[in-house]
Amino acid sequence: MNKIYISFLAALAIMLLGSCNDFLEEDPTDRLTVDKAITSRSELFLNCVANLYRDVGGSSNAQGLQGTSHGLYDLNTFDTDEAMVPTRGADWYDGGYWQALYTHDFSQADGTGDVWNYLFRQVLACNVSLKRIADFAATHPGENVDEYIAEVRGLRAMYMFYAMDLYGRLPIFDSPTPSASQLALQPRSKVYQYIIDELLAIEPQLSIKSSCLPGEYYGRFTKPVALFLLAKLALNVEVYNDDDWTDDLRPNGSQFFFTLYGNKLNAWEAVVYICDYLSNLGFRMEDDFSTNFAVHNEVSRENIFVIPMDKLLYDSQFVNLFRSRHYNHAAALGLNGENGPCATREALMAFGLFEGQAIDAEDVDPRFALTYYCGQVYDLNGNIITLDDGTPLVYEPWKVALDVSGTPWEKTAGARMRKYEIDPTATMDGRHSDNDIVLMRMADVVLMKAEALLRNGDDGSEPFNEVRERVSAKPMECTLATVLDERQRELAWEGWRRNDLIRFGLFTRAYSDRPQLPGESNGYTTVFPIPGEFLNFTRCSQNPGW
Amino acid sequence: MSRTIIKRWCRIAACIAALLPLALPIHAANEEADSVISVGYTNTNNAVSGSVEHVGQDQMNRKQSSNALDAINGRVAGMTVQRPSNGLAAMNAVRVRGTTSLTGGNDPLIIVDGVFGDLTTLSAIYPADIESFTVLKDASETAQYGSRGASGVIEVTTKRGTSSTAGMSYNGTFGVSRVAKNINMLDADAYRQLLTQQSLMLVDHGYNTNWQREIQQTGFQQDHHIAFTGGKANAGYRVALGYMNHRGVILHESMNNFTSNMSMHQTMFNDRVKVEVGMFGNVQHSTTSIYDVQKTFYSAASWNPTFSTERNAAGGWDGFTYANQINHPMALMDSRTRNKTTHLSTHGKISAQITTDWSLSGFLAFSHNEAEASQFLPTSIWAHGQVYKGSNKTESLVGNIMLAWDKSMASHHVKIMALAEAQRDDLTGFGVTTTNLSTDALGIDVLQAGALTVWDGTKSFHKTPTMAAFMSRGSWEWNDRYSLTITARIDGSSKFGKNHKWGFFPSASAAWTVSNENFMRDIQWLETMKLRVGVGMAGNQGGIDSYMSLNALQPVGIVPVGQGAAVSLGLPLNINPDLKWEVKCTFNTGIDIVVLNSRLFGSIDFYTSKTTDMLYLYNVPVPPFHYNKLLANIGSMSNNGLEISMGATLVNTRDIDLNINANVAWQRNKLLSLSGEYGDYYLEAPSIVDIGNLNGAGFHGGNNHIVYQIVGQPLGVFYLPHCTGLVDDGNGGYVYGIADLDNDGNIYLANGADRQVCGQAVPKVLVGSNFSLRYRNCDLAIQINGAFGHKIYNGTALTYMNMNSLPGYNVMADAPAMAIKDQIATDYWLEPGDYVNIDYITFGWNVPLKKSAIERLRLSLTLENLATITSYSGLTPMINSTNVSSTLGIDDKNTYPVTRDVTLGVSVYF
Repeated sequence: MNKIYISFLAALAIMLLGSCNDFLEEDPTDRLTVDKAITSRSELFLNCVANLYRDVGGSSNAQGLQGTSHGLYDLNTFDTDEAMVPTRGADWYDGGYWQALYTHDFSQADGTGDVWNYLFRQVLACNVSLKRIADFAATHPGENVDEYIAEVRGLRAMYMFYAMDLYGRLPIFDSPTPSASQLALQPRSKVYQYIIDELLAIEPQLSIKSSCLPGEYYGRFTKPVALFLLAKLALNVEVYNDDDWTDDLRPNGSQFFFTLYGNKLNAWEAVVYICDYLSNLGFRMEDDFSTNFAVHNEVSRENIFVIPMDKLLYDSQFVNLFRSRHYNHAAALGLNGENGPCATREALMAFGLFEGQAIDAEDVDPRFALTYYCGQVYDLNGNIITLDDGTPLVYEPWKVALDVSGTPWEKTAGARMRKYEIDPTATMDGRHSDNDIVLMRMADVVLMKAEALLRNGDDGSEPFNEVRERVSAKPMECTLATVLDERQRELAWEGWRRNDLIRFGLFTRAYSDRPQLPGESNGYTTVFPIPGEFLNFTRCSQNPGW
Repeated sequence: MSRTIIKRWCRIAACIAALLPLALPIHAANEEADSVISVGYTNTNNAVSGSVEHVGQDQMNRKQSSNALDAINGRVAGMTVQRPSNGLAAMNAVRVRGTTSLTGGNDPLIIVDGVFGDLTTLSAIYPADIESFTVLKDASETAQYGSRGASGVIEVTTKRGTSSTAGMSYNGTFGVSRVAKNINMLDADAYRQLLTQQSLMLVDHGYNTNWQREIQQTGFQQDHHIAFTGGKANAGYRVALGYMNHRGVILHESMNNFTSNMSMHQTMFNDRVKVEVGMFGNVQHSTTSIYDVQKTFYSAASWNPTFSTERNAAGGWDGFTYANQINHPMALMDSRTRNKTTHLSTHGKISAQITTDWSLSGFLAFSHNEAEASQFLPTSIWAHGQVYKGSNKTESLVGNIMLAWDKSMASHHVKIMALAEAQRDDLTGFGVTTTNLSTDALGIDVLQAGALTVWDGTKSFHKTPTMAAFMSRGSWEWNDRYSLTITARIDGSSKFGKNHKWGFFPSASAAWTVSNENFMRDIQWLETMKLRVGVGMAGNQGGIDSYMSLNALQPVGIVPVGQGAAVSLGLPLNINPDLKWEVKCTFNTGIDIVVLNSRLFGSIDFYTSKTTDMLYLYNVPVPPFHYNKLLANIGSMSNNGLEISMGATLVNTRDIDLNINANVAWQRNKLLSLSGEYGDYYLEAPSIVDIGNLNGAGFHGGNNHIVYQIVGQPLGVFYLPHCTGLVDDGNGGYVYGIADLDNDGNIYLANGADRQVCGQAVPKVLVGSNFSLRYRNCDLAIQINGAFGHKIYNGTALTYMNMNSLPGYNVMADAPAMAIKDQIATDYWLEPGDYVNIDYITFGWNVPLKKSAIERLRLSLTLENLATITSYSGLTPMINSTNVSSTLGIDDKNTYPVTRDVTLGVSVYF
């Protein structure tokens, strides 16, 4: 009896265990395995190319190239002489983050590594897409997927560009699942060359269409975007080819050569060439500066690359206006505000302002009123905006300081961001507006041309004054110093200030409320520290100084 | 390892498991134990050799409780019940022997009459329906339940009808609850005076409002319970209905719960076949005006006290833009969150005695759980307003077949059983959020009042996790002195990677009843002395979701495509194809002693456990990973502790009974490692990871981390800069002086040099004690609980003492005198969390009745939460000191007001 039972039980156990393997298989009905998700060319585009654009903008901290808090934009802006986030009493201390950013004490600014994670997640996503496109091509021999491959490689090069600009040394890898050794950090010059090579290799296969106008290429990585990036790379050639940025020596840009459409050009000539090429493609400065930042700015022929915004469709956010304006200012617009970021004293001076002078004075650059809210402000119907106690709200641009707590202008110090047209129908407190966020535009290219001409020993005044004329500013002598100031006036709040200051060697200097850090003169703060988790994993060394 | 090898190993293991018990020596004996208690799948007697605590009617808390767990709170050594701190329908957090997993699955398994459930299942059980609790603590006992029981098991047995208990009973409770303590903020006059004196902007609406009081009300409760029982010799039934209606101490807060419980049993064929059928269920409605606990209490404490509690002329609430992190407290009270949970569970069991020794039983249970949630956030507190409705449903089918052999031969008694079990859950849910309301008047019921439904405002899902298990358990007793139990269990879960679905978890325990030895028979005063020892392994899969090992794409967002836009697919997180069982190995040893005619009894248990292959959301590098969190099996953690329970019957006469029970538990936890191999990668997670931060104005991001997880330390330690004292800032204020701990001349607030570990958030010692006294028909019971050895971060005081937060945010009454103008988080506000709390005092009177239709009548009066003895300066030290989450050990403007409750109870038996 027992024996029979034992063998019965053993047999039963073995049988059940076998059939249980099927019982324990997961077969989800609310998601798709890759083979089911990519069965056609249109699905390949949707889930391997178009999906990558979802993360150009972001909806939470540190995500997206611009528009969220603690992200790439903040690392390129709030550590410069252009803008700061003062501590305002109980508001905006935030564990010392903003003060650490402003003073370049980046290792104290908790969360700068999140930007690295964001950028490399995009690089990995591009690698995954490239692998899936290759897999698709292998099983669908008739389909030409070259254009998709070019577009994804272009996007990857763009993220690598932003990452190189912030962190200097980067890993270069094609695998979606790289090993630790494949992720070894490469010198900055090698990363630079990789990005250049990638862009030049794929650029011929890209569409020449603007990615800022509605249509098939809206929001996408097209040839003008690749060219813009090539111009930026060429203009910063001395910085990006400097593998030891703490030795005070930089290579000479005129000694670096590019071959563009069969023309061998040095770096400065390449910038000029690209500017002219983009003009020929139809990119031009809009007659009205404000067109580029309007609620419906997807008509601009000037914008080259944007984060498409649509409160009904996308979840990308734009916090730049929301977090800058005063609570009552926002409330008067029917929105919300966080009363934070504002212009520094240096930014005010760049516009020709000095303390006590009216902002509509003749010497003040016309773009100041288009870029900043200053003094008394009005709602959309022209009524004066007041504080809760009934007194008018007056922004005090010159009272700005890194910590204004306890001062009478704790809540009102500093000129606030304007630039983008107010979208009164914005949702999420004003974070979801319809203005596309401008990442790259032609005025920047024109100023790059002026600068390149100067650096090549030529006269840059024509493109330089073209930018000034558009806003009816008086012509001015074109020198490297005036170009940098002009870039501040033209491109304020657009996320290029750090890049510009480093190129001009002025990033590490002392300015208002920012004494130079000990040892900073060697330039170690021009790159950010690389996240410790990554260094632990690859056993690579940290950037010098951090 | 390849799949086939694993399969083969599993099969071999299954065979061994099935055969092992049969190999044990068998002799004959025939002795029936009289104290049969139900442990696990089988009935057992004093052969229990693991760590098991049985709490019968007499040992349960004597207050009338609306929550089943209140009945055993403080009664079981090593078990903590964290009171719900945020509202009426909130769930308790329960830990048996502390936290052993980082991911989840730390809540014990709840089994109600054989039906597996979780803490939410208990809301379907009216406490008066409970016959007994059995708490299984160590692995040799919980092993029977495999992975589900890895964090302890609480078995709840409900009352059943028998021929001797025929009758009817009514239990009623009526109570009042009032707020006993609020935070002492500046009143309106002091606020005005201070702002004027400091020439800060004063927005004075001319009122004197105590906001904390304004959002509060007197709470009421009434509970009714009626039960009918009856039976014959071979059958019995019991039907019980319960209704609870509670009104909370915060405006608009209410809960009602309807429960029912029915059970029947019958024996047939000369008692050889027994059929048991049961059904229990409930419908619970709860409503609250608290959509965000912290925002509500933060606003009530610090909103401008000169504002009116009434709407303004325009019909809205006056705003105060400087206080942009908080809202008008009365505007917050306009928000509504409504939850409805429906639970239905039916189960049936048929057991057959095939021969004298062999028995076979089958059990099948189906449960249905539905949670509906609605929320309305008016335009005054949420830009453009928001309405949400959603529903989550879980249907669960569990079945098992068990074959058992039970034989007594001479002085031996052997029991062997084999069990196969399968479970399939079906989880579905959806939710819709709409915004841009044109009117607040439509409130919570109308989704289409919102003009906008954004893409990520709609969600739905469907998951079907499955589990399967095979178990064999054998126990052997000899001479009433020695017993040995061996369990082998194979668990399979669908949630793990393709090659890791199965886990083998054996356990064994032994006991020696020393007092039954011949050489001990002469010691008259010693009634029982039993030594126990047990070891075991348990797998854990709690807290992890389905499809975490599957490379499957889901909709992640909308992208522009061509002229329009389309939803694209992607992976929003790292997947791990190698996900596998987390394993906990436990060793337990204990002694039970009963002396002096059961007047005095005590037990001591020591345990140590180690969790390996620890499931956790590890911080991983990007690249190679896409996201910086990965659910993986890498690290390890240890737990150990000592538990002592004692009881004494000091007086036991016809007129007077006096009993004292007490238990003490020491617990120690250590995070051993977060590093290890993952596939081809060696992953070294940062050894210092923050888990709890401060929130509120000026606390966004940055170095606001308070509680950390540090390798080599207990879970949840405070890692803070050291404050050397308050330093004059030269402007009539003070800032926190910060020590340069590494003497490098710089103060570095980020993780590293100038921070130090300065205490743990989880208590080192837990104490529960109960005194009960009966004098004739009157009785008195007092329960006192305490916790020691931990600390609490008083983030509430850090915020409300900062004079810089004026004029937007009101400050504490003491703030002007201390003149602190700083909110850097240092150890200045880290305080000892030790406390002793008088949980309740109950006076009862069994009304003497002579020859009445009423068999028994009892009246009782309970005072709950009578007093707390503590040095902690905040509202209450009874915050979350148990559950490893972002609120662990941090009191940050989110503490529910402390209440005192008085309840009157009536019990009538007919």
